[in-house]
Formats: sequence, C-alpha cells, structure tokens
Amino acid sequence: MSSTNIRRCISIGLVIALGLTYTLTTDSFLTTFNILQLLKDSAYTGLISLGMALVIIGGGIDLSAGGIVCLCGVACARASFIPGVPGIAVILITILAGAACGLFNGLVVTKLHLSEFVTTLASGFVFSGLALITTFKTDGRPVPMKLTNLDFISFGYNYSGLYKITIVWIALAVLMQVVLTRTRFGLYTCALGANEKSALMSGVKKDRIKIAGFMACGAFCGLAAAMVVAFQTATTQTLGNMMEFQAISACVVGGIVITGGKGDALAACLGAFFMTMVTSGLLKYGLSTGVHYLMYGAVIVIMINFDAQFSRLTDGGRVRKTKKNEPPRLSEVQP
Amino acid sequence: MTNINAEYVLQVRGIDKQFGGVPVLKNVSLDIKKGEVHALMGENGAGKSTLIKIVTGVYTKDAGTIYVEGEPRDIRSRTDAADAGISVIYQELSLIQTLTVAQNIFLGQERTKFRLTKKKEMQRSVAELIGKYTFDIDPNAEVASLGMAQRQTVEILKALRQDAKLIIMDEPTSALSAAESEKLFETIDELRAGGASILYISHRLEEVYRIADRLTVMRDGENVRVLNKDEISAPVVTKLMIGHEVKNEKMRKEANRRSDTVLEVRDLYFKDILKGVSFKAYGGEILGIGGLVGAGRTELIRCIYGAAKPASGAVLLNGSPVSRSIAKNMRAGFGLVPEDRRQEGFVPLLPVMKNLALSSYDFLAKFGFVNTKKERTFADDAIGKYDIRPPRRDLQTINLSGGNQQKVVLGKWLARSLKVLLLDEPTAGVDIGVKRELYHYLAELADAGAIVIMVSSDLPELTTVSDRILVLHDGRFFEEFTGEVSQTDILLASSGEHTEEGRAL
Repeated sequence: MSSTNIRRCISIGLVIALGLTYTLTTDSFLTTFNILQLLKDSAYTGLISLGMALVIIGGGIDLSAGGIVCLCGVACARASFIPGVPGIAVILITILAGAACGLFNGLVVTKLHLSEFVTTLASGFVFSGLALITTFKTDGRPVPMKLTNLDFISFGYNYSGLYKITIVWIALAVLMQVVLTRTRFGLYTCALGANEKSALMSGVKKDRIKIAGFMACGAFCGLAAAMVVAFQTATTQTLGNMMEFQAISACVVGGIVITGGKGDALAACLGAFFMTMVTSGLLKYGLSTGVHYLMYGAVIVIMINFDAQFSRLTDGGRVRKTKKNEPPRLSEVQP
Repeated sequence: MTNINAEYVLQVRGIDKQFGGVPVLKNVSLDIKKGEVHALMGENGAGKSTLIKIVTGVYTKDAGTIYVEGEPRDIRSRTDAADAGISVIYQELSLIQTLTVAQNIFLGQERTKFRLTKKKEMQRSVAELIGKYTFDIDPNAEVASLGMAQRQTVEILKALRQDAKLIIMDEPTSALSAAESEKLFETIDELRAGGASILYISHRLEEVYRIADRLTVMRDGENVRVLNKDEISAPVVTKLMIGHEVKNEKMRKEANRRSDTVLEVRDLYFKDILKGVSFKAYGGEILGIGGLVGAGRTELIRCIYGAAKPASGAVLLNGSPVSRSIAKNMRAGFGLVPEDRRQEGFVPLLPVMKNLALSSYDFLAKFGFVNTKKERTFADDAIGKYDIRPPRRDLQTINLSGGNQQKVVLGKWLARSLKVLLLDEPTAGVDIGVKRELYHYLAELADAGAIVIMVSSDLPELTTVSDRILVLHDGRFFEEFTGEVSQTDILLASSGEHTEEGRAL
C-alpha cells in the first residue's frame, strides 16, 4: 500500500474513532439530525478548505481567507438588497467578489514577487478593513440588517434536513478531486508545490497557476460566505473570523502536506469533517471554546509531527536500509 | 581524426571558449558513435563541464562546429539541444517527488482528452518504454518511494521519451551507493543494447573500465587522446590527465611531529560511506587527506568535529574520547573550516567583526553581555594580522571576495588556541595570492604545535602543503604518502591502484 493510501486510512480512522467515542458516550451523536447538522457545519469550513487545499498543494498559503469571507459576506448582503435581483445572481456576485480578492493576492505574489505568507497576511487585514468600512451603518455604528431577498434566502433552506450548502460542498469536492488528480492544472499545481524549479524546467507556467489557485480559493471563500449568509439571513462583522486557520488545520489534519506538492480534495473534506466533529462533540460534553482551541492545537501538532515521522519512514530514497555487514557496535571499539 | 559522418551521433570540431580572456577550451573535438558509451575524463578545470554546457546550449561557443548525425547543428539553447536529441541527466535530479513515474515522464507534455489527462494511455506508453529496455520500474510508483538509482532511471526514461539520441550523464554516481551504482551501470548496459548513445563524465576510473567503450581524456582545455576500451588502464589514463609532471617540492622542509598532541581515530563507520577508518595525527604536522569526491573525506572531517554522528568507532584526543557536541569540541580546541563556506563557514549578512568573533564569545562576553570594546579590538587584530581586505570590520562578510571570506573563516579559528584545525577544500574559489597566505597561516599553526588536517581535491595543493598524505578510497584509508609525492600517485591511489611510493594501509 502506498504511503498516500496509508495516510488516507489514518484520516478515515480518526473520523471513525472519534465518531465511535461520541456514539458510545452520548446518545445524541448517531442520529440523522445530528449527522446532517454536522455535514452542514463542515460544509462551511469544507468549502474554504477546498480552496485552501489548492493553494497549499501549490506550495503557498492563503492567510486572507477569513478576510475574504468577511468582505464577501458584506458584498453578498449588499447585493441581496438590490431590488429584483435573483438569488443565484447574488451568489454569483459574491463568488466574483471572492475571486477578485484572490486575483489581487495572486497578482501581488506573482508580479511583485512578495512572499505568499506576507502578502495574504496583509491583504487579509485589507479585506477585513474593507468589510468593516462597507458594512451597513446607522449613526456610524454597524448594525445587523435582516436580509429580505427571499429568493436568495432560499439557498439556506434544506431538503428534509439536507442543507443546500452540504450538497454544493460535496459536488464541488468531487469536481476538485477530478481537477486535482486528472487535469494538467492539478498536476502542475502539485509539481509547483513539490519542486518549483523542476516544474519551471518542464514548462509549467508558474504565474498562471498561482493566480488561478488564489482566485479559486477566493471564489470558494465567496461561495462559502454566500451560503452561510443565506442560512443566517444576515451577515456579521465576525463572519469568517479565524476561518483561514480552520481551513489550514483541516487540510493538515486531512493529510495535505503543508509545504505543498501533495494532497487532494478528499483529504481537505475529511479534515474539515474531523475538525467540525471535534467542535460539535465537545459542545455536547459542555466544554468551552477554550478547550476547542486546545484540542485544535493538539491535533495539528500531533498530525504534523506524525507526517514528518511518517515521510521519513516511507521516503525510500533517503532512508538507507540496514547494511548486511553491520559495523561493530560502538561499545566494542571504545577504549 | 574521423570524418564527419552520419554514423556518429555527435561530433564536435574545433571548439574554442574563453571566459574573460582566459581560454577554457582550445580546439576541442569529440566523436561519439551511435550506440556507444563514451567516457570523458579530466582533472577539475580540464574543461569537461564547459564542453558539456556548450553542447547542451547553456554556453555559446566562440568557435567550432557541432554535428549531429553528420549534419551541422546550431545549438544556442537547451531547447535547441533537446530538438537535436541531446539530453542531460543532471546531478541534482529534477523530478517531482510527489508525482508518479509516468506523471513525471510526461510532465509538461501530457496527453489529454476533454481536458482530462489520459492516465491509462500515458502509463501504458511508459510501461512500453520500460519494457523496451527491460528496466525494473513501476510506472505508477510515486517518485518519493524510489531509490536514487531508480530516480536516475526515471530521468533517463524522460529523456528517452523525448527521443533523445545522446544522453549525457555528469558524475551520475556521486549521489549513489555502491549497490545503486551497479544498478545504474545495468541501466546503461540496457540503454546501449537498445541503441542509445551515452556520454559519461566521471572521476572514477573503475566506473569507466566497467562501462565505457571509448574514453576521451581532456587536460587544460584540450582533448589529449581518445582511448579504445582495451587501451584504458589506470597508469595510462592518469598520465594523460596530469601530463608531464615534476614532483612538487614540499612547502615545509620538515614537520616537527610532537607526541604531546595526538588525535586518534579508530575504526570509524558512517552510513555506508566510511567503513572502518583509522589513523593518528600528531601535533606539528599538516596531514593531507586525498581521495575522490564522494570518497567520504568530508564525512570523516565532520565525524571528527562532532557535526556528524558516526555509527561506530572512536575519536580520541590525547587518549580521551572526543565529545559528540560541537560546542564542547570547540572549547577543547577544535576548529573546522567547512567545504561550503557560505552555508556553514560564516553568516553572510553579519559584518566581518561579528563573524570573526562568532566562535569566541566565550571570552568576549561576560554574563551574556558582549564586551564591545574587546570585540572590536579582537576583530581589528585579526583583520590586521590576516590582511583582510578591505580592512573594515563593519562590512557585510558576503561582500568580500572569496579569498577574503575564507580569511575571515580561518581568522575566526586562528584567534583561539587551537589544538586541531580541520579544513575541507580550504582554497576552493580562492585566488593564488591569497592561497599562499592561507598556506602560510596553516604552517604557522602547525609550527605552534597544533594538528592541521586538510582535505583537498587540488592535487598541487595537497602534495605541496601536506607533510603527510592519507588517501581515502572506498571508505577506508588506502595508502599513505610521506615525503615528496607525485600527483599521479595520489590520483592512482584515489582510484584504488597501489603505487610504489605509497605505503599500503
């Protein structure tokens, strides 16, 4: 079995183990209602994780994802107030807003040659700032506005418990899985993340792929924002807060190599589902947000460390197997 | 000289190349037949790499013509070379580790249908190619799971898929273990059987014996001779490589060996590179360590210093074991001038003063606070003493010339009371004037009673500066030379051939 498959089994195993623990210790875990809720909650992180996965696999990082979600939330709310605009158009506008943010990131990174870390750290503040400035205000104070565009709000509905955001998430995950594993774009993204120099030597167009990655990530953030706003029928200043870290964590836990070059959509989805399970499960035990954060931190450190050890064990080229003629033991030659 | 002929995959005539007015290649020619493994040998600086770079379009030639299968070809870029069917397998491999063998081989030239890659078809085509040469590789394996030799095979397959007629391998075994090298040779045999031509550049005679059909020897930018397989022998080849030679006089008439400082290494094993290395070095002597690149010289030095952890064996200074901690060894009087100056020798962005003082803060600082006045005097002393130019302690070290950078690295150690100084290729990239100065400081240090151990690939340097030379071959010390010694002998011993002058170990 290849190392990728082993890693996948571990991700799935984690989800099952946690699910079993919850099932055995609480009565309310393994119910249709709960599972559907879980899927809805994971879809929000999950959509952003799909975009984040693309950026991370390409060797980058997008710390502005949370900012994009926040700004897109405002854009979405504003768009929904335009008289007569259909719900689908609101969603498309929000996605475009997200993609535009991504385009900005991509252009700065590729044309000004700034590091992705710094660029997106800064642009995250810019997007959040823009969101605060453009939000609805009365007397200079932001106020929550109840959205009234019913066509748009219907995107927050569910079919007997199965939310539209879940359906969208799963459909896009399948699409991204194909894009990442079966298209040139996906292949080149992996190649860039694994070994930029070699990829360039093979004729991979770095700038295009980088920009496309950031734009896709922004678009996913926009879509996630639109779906959540539709569900909540309102947007808040804290929408998207810390979501970039949620998404990065989900990718790492799911098995996407944080330094790039390896991973797929399924990994991002498993990671997002696992992280959401941790949160919701701890809520059931009545534990505070503080404990959630501790758990997140612990899970990430454990998984990254595990991956580091794991790659050392399976990287055939670097680990030399024990030689036939073993050298004498240290103790035998000491004076 | 053979005529220009379509039977030859590559023919090169009258190539000249100068760098800044210095001729590097002088009227060089080369003939590679179809289906032969042609070796190219020569000392460092003989012009092998330059020739390869011209043939592959990295450099442009000043004069001469390149013929591919009898037709003159204008090769000005890598793409031109690839179009002409010339491929290079680089020393640092250019594969994407996280992709599969087939994905790597088709990278940049995928076959697609409806924008989806035709995975199965590409795998099949790679499998066919593998089958044609009977290599042992799974097209679906992830490259990260392959050994180094297999990765090279993948590189070769990549070249073959692009219809390479000539595959150039530049020191391909330098990153391979002995078993992996043997695998590569089998691959080369398969390639030859399949009709491909190979230009094989190597320092190692035994490899050339093993695989080459013919051998071209280069020296000082000229090709000296072409040898057929049956003419290749170690004495002939080394003589051709070195040319006429006078024995170099020793820099120091005699070394005052002292018995109060003795470094002893016993049965050192490290990975599969060092296989039981033992020797003694004495205070007052400059001990040279010779051998081919990859023979384990750097590893030996690093094991002594504590920068690498040997699998087994002992390092003793005056009878007591040397620590595995660099910090402790420094305090005990060890110093290292490493091979990779920029990475390990000094901190590029720090000023000269800080680099000089970097390993001496044990006496330049008190309670964690640096005595800046002392530090400045310390640096100025070193700058004056070792004539570091420009004599400015505040200059970023990276802005100095190679030679002066090396003076900073050396000065950093010489300011301490050293018992053992280890040097790894100390004069690489250093001009001749500064070289002499550096040798002078080494001699001074040895005269003061320290042990100086120097690894060098520069044969004139090794033979003149060292009082005694140990040659490393295949993970063990092979021969010892005392007194005057010729470069040919060192080279022969490095290739595992016993010499008359040397004492077999």
